[in-house]
Amino acid sequence: MRRGGQVLLLVAWLATLAGLGALVAQRLRISTDLRSFMPAPATPDQRLLMEQVGEGPGSRLLLLAIAGKPGAPLAELSRQLAAALRKDSHYTQVLNGSFDIGALDARLLPYRYLLSPTLDSERMDAGFLRDQLQQRLEDLSSPAASLLKPLLPRDPTLEVLKLAERWTPPKSPEIRDGVWFSAQDEALLLVQTQAPGFDPDAQAIAIDGIQRAFDRLPDHAGATLTLSGPGYFSVVVNAQTRGQAEWIGRVSTVGFILLLLLAYRSVGSLLLSALPIASAALAGIAVLVLLFPQVHGITLAFGFTLLGVAQEYPIRVLSHRRAGENALQSVRDLWPLLLTAIASACIAYLAFYASGVNGLRQLAVFTITGLLVAGFSTRYLLPHLLPVRVRDVADMRWLIAARRLVDALPRPRWVPLAAASATVSMLAFAQGPFWQNDLAALTPLPTDLLQRDARLREALGAPDVRYLLILEADSEQGVLALSERLQPAVDGWIARRAVDAVELPSRYLPSEAVQRARQQRLPDRATLEQALAETQQGMPFQSGLFTPFVDDVQQARQLPPLTPARFAMSPLGQRLAAMLVRRGDRWLGLGTLSGVHDVAALQQWAQASGGAVRVLDLKGAAESLVVDYRTRILHALLAAALLLVMTITLALRSLRRAWHVLAPMTLATFLVLAVERVAGVEISLFHLVALILAAGLGLHYALFFERDTGDAAEQRRTLHATLVCVLSALLVFGMLAWSSIPVLRAIGLTVSLGVAFHFCLSILMAPHARQD
Amino acid sequence: MLLCGLMLSLCANASAPEDAATARELVMSLGRPAPARTPFAEARFMKMLDRPLVVSGQLAWLGDDRLERQVEHPNREVSTIADGEVTQQREGREPRHFSLARAPQLQILLDSFVALLGGDSVRLEQSFDVQHSADHAGHWTLALTPRDAKLARTVSRIEIDGRGNQPRCLRMQEADGDLAVDLLGELAAKMPATPTRDALQALCQSD
Repeated sequence: MRRGGQVLLLVAWLATLAGLGALVAQRLRISTDLRSFMPAPATPDQRLLMEQVGEGPGSRLLLLAIAGKPGAPLAELSRQLAAALRKDSHYTQVLNGSFDIGALDARLLPYRYLLSPTLDSERMDAGFLRDQLQQRLEDLSSPAASLLKPLLPRDPTLEVLKLAERWTPPKSPEIRDGVWFSAQDEALLLVQTQAPGFDPDAQAIAIDGIQRAFDRLPDHAGATLTLSGPGYFSVVVNAQTRGQAEWIGRVSTVGFILLLLLAYRSVGSLLLSALPIASAALAGIAVLVLLFPQVHGITLAFGFTLLGVAQEYPIRVLSHRRAGENALQSVRDLWPLLLTAIASACIAYLAFYASGVNGLRQLAVFTITGLLVAGFSTRYLLPHLLPVRVRDVADMRWLIAARRLVDALPRPRWVPLAAASATVSMLAFAQGPFWQNDLAALTPLPTDLLQRDARLREALGAPDVRYLLILEADSEQGVLALSERLQPAVDGWIARRAVDAVELPSRYLPSEAVQRARQQRLPDRATLEQALAETQQGMPFQSGLFTPFVDDVQQARQLPPLTPARFAMSPLGQRLAAMLVRRGDRWLGLGTLSGVHDVAALQQWAQASGGAVRVLDLKGAAESLVVDYRTRILHALLAAALLLVMTITLALRSLRRAWHVLAPMTLATFLVLAVERVAGVEISLFHLVALILAAGLGLHYALFFERDTGDAAEQRRTLHATLVCVLSALLVFGMLAWSSIPVLRAIGLTVSLGVAFHFCLSILMAPHARQD
Repeated sequence: MLLCGLMLSLCANASAPEDAATARELVMSLGRPAPARTPFAEARFMKMLDRPLVVSGQLAWLGDDRLERQVEHPNREVSTIADGEVTQQREGREPRHFSLARAPQLQILLDSFVALLGGDSVRLEQSFDVQHSADHAGHWTLALTPRDAKLARTVSRIEIDGRGNQPRCLRMQEADGDLAVDLLGELAAKMPATPTRDALQALCQSD
C-alpha cells in the first residue's frame, strides 16, 4: 500500500475508534451492584437470598462504635451523632440506646392507641385512668418529672414510651450515661440505611454521610468512629480491590511496554500493535452498551484481563516478520493458525455465556467481540500500516542458541504419562475440601474486620445475617396477622433459649384487625371526659389539662387503620417495609433472628406449621447457589471442550496433530489444579475463570509449537513470539499473584502457574523439530 | 461621680476574691464522709397542678457519683443514680431506667449535692457560678447558676440555705416557673401539710 493510502487507513481507523469512544462515553452506565455478578437463583430460597443480600433489613444495617474518650463525652457524641442522622433521609432508623420518644413520627401520634398493646388488656375507663394518673403524680414528684412533664397533657398513659420501649431491640447492650456501650468502652449505634446493602456506591454515600456528620460534631476531636456491617464491607472490598488492581495494572503496563520495546526495538511497531487491542476494548464496550442497559464494573475489569489473550495476535505478527517480506504476506502465512486460536478462545468464552449469570454473560459478549475485532483488525488492517523494513528476529544470536537448547531437550514418550500420574496422585492426596462453596470467599474480607463485626453484632444483639424467619401469606395483612399469631410461640423459643431474640413485622405494625379491635375499645368523647372528671376528683391536676389527650383519643377513633404503605412515610415505616416482600400474588414477612442457639428446634417447629413459616439459612442457600453455579459452568466447559476438540481437529485435519495441541493444554490445566490443591487452595469460581483464561493462552502455545514449517528460522520466530507472550503474561498475572486480595491472587496465581505449565508441556510434548 | 464609680468597681473587685474564698471555706466545712444520709421533705409547685406535691424520706450520698433518694411518704419509692443512669423502683412495679442526661434536674442535684457533701468546692465551681451571702447570726445562702447552657434551660437557679455547717433548705427554680423546695435535716419534720412558697421561704430563713 502506498504512503497516502496508509495515512488514509490510519486516519479512518483512528476516527472509527474515536467514534466508538464517543458512543461509549455517552451511553456507558456502570453498575456496581455485586448481585448481577452472582449466580442466578433457581429455588425460592435462593431468589429470596439474592433479594435479602441486597435489600433485606439485615443488609441495610450499619454497626457504629465510637471510641477513644472517657464514657461521658462518648455518650454525648453518640447522642449528637444520632440526632444529626435522624434528620437525614438517607437513614431510616438510628438507635443508640437512649430512649427515643420521637420514635413515632409526630404526624402519626394519634395512632399510638392503635399501635400500643395497652388496649388489648385495658379499657380506658375511670379505674384504669385513676391508676395511671396516680402513677403520674408519683412520677411528677420523682426524679423522672422533667422527663415526663412535657408529655403529660397529651399522653397521660405514656403510650409513646411504651411504643419506644417496644421498638428498641429486644436484646440491647449495656446502657451507660444513657446510651449503649460495649464491654470495650465504645459507644454503640445501629443505623439502618435507605440504600440497599450491596450497592457499594449508594452505601459509600450513606457511610460518607455518617463520617461527615461525625466530623461536624463540635467535640469529636480525639474520638474515632468505626463502622461495620454488610454495606460497609461492600464499600471496603470495592475500594481495596479497585485500588490494588489499578496499582498493579499501572506497574504491569509499564513492564509490558518495556518488554515489547526490548523485543522489537521499534516504537512505531509498538504503537501500531496497540491499535487492535484498543479497537477490541472499545468495540467490546460499545456492543455491551448497545445490548445491556447497564454494564457491570467487574465485567470490565475481568474483560480487560481476558483480552490479554488478544495482545498475542499482533505479537505473533511482529515476531514472524521476515526481513524484506511484506507484512501482509507474514500475516497470510500465520492466519489459518491464528484463526484457529481465535475461534477456539471464542468457543471457550462461550462457556461464560451459558453460565446464566448476567455479569458473566456480559463478560462473554465483551471478550468474544473483543477477540474477533482484535483478530480481524490484526489480519486485515494492521499489516497495511506496519513499516516495510524490519529486523528479522530469527537472526538474533540468543534466539538461535535458545532454539537449539529447546530442540536439544529430551522429549521422552513418558512425559505425558508422568505428568498425568503426578496430577492424579496430587489430586488424590490433597487435603481439605476440593471446592470453596462459601460465597463470602468470593468477596473476601480482612479477618480483623470480620472479627470486629462479630464482636459488635454480639454486643448490639444485632440480627444474625445467616438465618431469617420467613412468614408467607396471601396479603400484607395476612402476613401481619400470621406474625401476631406467631408471637406466643416465638416468646416460647426465647424462654427455652433456642434463640436470643426475634423481631417480627407485627412488632412495628399490628394487623388492621387488631387495630380495629383496639379502636372499638376507645371511649367516645363524652364517656372519656366523664371518666376523666371522675378520676380527677381529689387529684391536684388542673382542670382541662388533659384536653389534648381527649382530642387525640377522639381522633384515633376516626382514623383509618395504619397500613404499611401509609406507615412508610415515616422512617420506622421504612424499617417495616424492608420486612415485607411481595412475591407474585403472595406476600412474605421477614423476621430477623439474633443469637440462634438451636437451629434444629426452630426448623422442626417451622416444619410443623405446614409451609406458612420457614427458617431460611442464608448461608446454606448461598452455598447451594454456588454449587448450582459451578455445575453450570462445568457443564458449559465440558461442552466447550468437546467443541474445542472438534474445531481443532477440523482445522488441523488430523487427530494426531489435534492430540499434540490438546494433550499438553489439558494436562497443564489439570496440573495447575493439582498443584493448587496440594498447596491447600480450595477451588472457587474465580480459579475456574482463571483456568479458562490460562487454557486459552496455552492453546496458542501448543498450536504454534505443533506447527511444523520445516523452516528452522520460522521455528525460531515461533519461539520468539511465544517467549514474548509468556513473559508478558507472567509479568501481568505474576504481579496479580502478589496481591493481598484473594480474588486477584486467585486469578494471578492460577494464570501464572498455567502459563508456565502450558509453556513447558507444549515444548516437551511438541513433535520433535527437524534440525537445520 | 466618676471617681466614686471607679472606687466602687475597685471595691467590688477587691471583695470578689474574698467572697469566693469564704464560699470555698464554707463548702469545705460542709464536707462529711460517705455514706451520708439526711431526712428530707420536698414540696413541688407545678403549673399543671392546683396544689403542691409533697413527699418525704431520706437522701443519701453513697460516695462518688452515687446518690439514693428514698421516698417513704406518701408512697414508697427508691431512686438511685449510678454510672449516669437513674433507676426508679416502686412497690409492685417493674423498675424504670433512664439516662441521667435526660433528667437535667437530677444532674444538677447530683452536681450540687455531691459537691456539698463531699466538701468539694472545686467541683461545685466547675458546674456552677457560685454566689455566697451570709448574715451575722451564722445564716448563709449559696446561690448556684448552672454553667452548662443546656442545663440552665431547665433549671435556672438553685439556692441552698444553711446555718453553721448544716444545709437546711434546697430550692430548685426551674426555667418554666416550677419550683421544688427540699427541707433537709431537722427542718424536714417541719414541712406544713399544705405548704406555700412564702411559708417555705420563711421556714428556710427561720432560726
